[in-house]
Amino acid sequence: MLQLRRNWHGLATGAAAIGALLVIAPVKAQADTLSEVLERGMLRCAVIEASPGFSSIDANGRRYGFDIDNCRTVAAAVLGDADAIEYVPINPNTAFTTLQSGGVDVFPGGATWTFLRDASLGLDYTGVYLYAGQGFVVRRASGVSRIADLEGATVCVAQGTTNEQNLADYFRARRMKYSIVTFADVERGLNAYLSDRCDAFTTEIFSLAGRVVALRNPGEHVILGEVISREPFSGLVRQGDPRWRDIVFWAFNSRLAAEEFGLTAANVADVRAMTEDAEIRRFLGVEGGFGEKLGLRGDWAYQIVVQVGNYGEVFARHFEPLGLQRGLNALWSEGGLMIAMPYR
Amino acid sequence: MRRNSAFWLQCLLGLGLLALLLLVFRTTQANLELLGVQSGFDFLSRKAGFSIAQHLIPYSEDSPIRTALGVAILNTLLLAVFCIALASILGLLVGVGRLSSNWLVSRLSLAYLELFRNVPVLLQIFFWYYVALRALPSFQSSLFITDYLVLNNRGLYFPFIEFSGGLSISPPAMGRFSYEGGFYLMPEFLALWVGLSLYNASYISEIVRSGFESVPRGQLEAGAALGLRRRAVLRRVAFPQALRAILPPLATVYMNMFKATSLAAAIAYPEIVSVFVGTVNNLVGRPVEVMAVTLAFYAGVSFLVAWLMGRWNERVMRRGQ
Repeated sequence: MLQLRRNWHGLATGAAAIGALLVIAPVKAQADTLSEVLERGMLRCAVIEASPGFSSIDANGRRYGFDIDNCRTVAAAVLGDADAIEYVPINPNTAFTTLQSGGVDVFPGGATWTFLRDASLGLDYTGVYLYAGQGFVVRRASGVSRIADLEGATVCVAQGTTNEQNLADYFRARRMKYSIVTFADVERGLNAYLSDRCDAFTTEIFSLAGRVVALRNPGEHVILGEVISREPFSGLVRQGDPRWRDIVFWAFNSRLAAEEFGLTAANVADVRAMTEDAEIRRFLGVEGGFGEKLGLRGDWAYQIVVQVGNYGEVFARHFEPLGLQRGLNALWSEGGLMIAMPYR
Repeated sequence: MRRNSAFWLQCLLGLGLLALLLLVFRTTQANLELLGVQSGFDFLSRKAGFSIAQHLIPYSEDSPIRTALGVAILNTLLLAVFCIALASILGLLVGVGRLSSNWLVSRLSLAYLELFRNVPVLLQIFFWYYVALRALPSFQSSLFITDYLVLNNRGLYFPFIEFSGGLSISPPAMGRFSYEGGFYLMPEFLALWVGLSLYNASYISEIVRSGFESVPRGQLEAGAALGLRRRAVLRRVAFPQALRAILPPLATVYMNMFKATSLAAAIAYPEIVSVFVGTVNNLVGRPVEVMAVTLAFYAGVSFLVAWLMGRWNERVMRRGQ
């Protein structure tokens, strides 16, 4: 009897466990990220930490950087408050999984727009916000001045990026020999390079510049003038929520439009009060009701410009101190690739 | 009758568990499909397109991901075998050293134990890695162990060995940045080998010591009374009996050591976690499949180690009877 009772006990426990696990339900077919964010009152934004220029923490403990301003841009548009953000620190290896599983609403942290990611990850790109390329840093004393000089060199690289494959493609296409040491993140890879484990360290050129400037002896290192890849960075959202994708796309577009219109954080309030330009009036929500068409408030774009600034201001704030030029990231009218879609 | 009903209950529970696993599997699959995430294991035959620093079998960027997985598995096993060998030798020496009547030897062994057992192994690995990078000579002042073996901070270079119409061996050749050899061991490997071995040797030494101490004193005295020399007493009387106490816990340490090779991912040694869970997962974006393969590998090898050690233990126990 005792034996039997013990078994019933086990069976009951097992049944309870199975019952509890039955709540593993399928996900909702049609996600509604906008409603979730509005209800929460906070935007959950994925950031990669400790990347000078993109994402760092200042002396007062505030997050600061280009990626951070990307998060703030979306929050200003959706919630009217650029600081209503719950930052979710991730590393490049977990970025896509975190986004897929719904842990964050948007990832605007330097993901290169590639075919395979777009086609197979269940994620949507929201438009290019920065054109970068993969570059190399070498020791000045090594005498290397071009990538072609790296024949036979050992190169340190970080995982979770397109850098590993770019490196392989580039060197193989030119029949150049090389050895690779693959680290889990940029920090460790750069440290190994500094310990003379490698002759060069490679990553995307903007974050490379940020990290080299921060070194103890930046003068001992040279960033080579060439890049080996195109790295168009785009925001990422989950697939299957077209309205949310539109919102993120137009939020980023608004910073470019503001620069095009000559609107800055300082003058936008005055311009809104006085302008006769129909497109600017539609843009700032004075007429046309454009914000409502996205499910946002009328002043969504105005909030972006006031709280975050136009694209040129954001770029200058974070990248000019690192000695980086606009280059491809200048407006189309100034020889760059950045173009704002029209507000009509 | 009673046993019968218990049996059926067990069966029912087993079936329930199976159904549950199936449910989890189906739900995961359906959810991935709804999210637009592609799934399946077809990625294994896709071209890898990335390079791996150390490979025991022929591998290039054109090889399929399957081959990259093979390379990563062999790198993992290579590290595990080297660590188990070195840790066993060191552990035996230190364990016997603890029992030594020589004061200095037993104190030094104790110091070793306390030092290496009390510091987290990951920190020890980082320590040895940065020590290795600093201590190894730079390329310009490479160390020639023989003409055919070159050591510098890029690794240990072995000679080229070719089998084209007879065996030909040529020494590592000097390039602009380092030597090029037929095969080379990375500094990451050396750091891990030292770090994991020293740490685990401290546990093995305790197992060895307690094993020897479990042999009743009377056995040793009996051996001595029979006129056996001290060495013969140790080898013929003490060791066979100590082994019976040593083997079961030793199997646990070996398995732990094998699993701890995954810490290699922290310092860029291309074992399975680094190559597969890191690079490949990022490349193909299939975390569920990638993790499943990796878990199956660890579970499979651990099971194999446990089984082999179990067999060995059985043999030892039988011999004692």
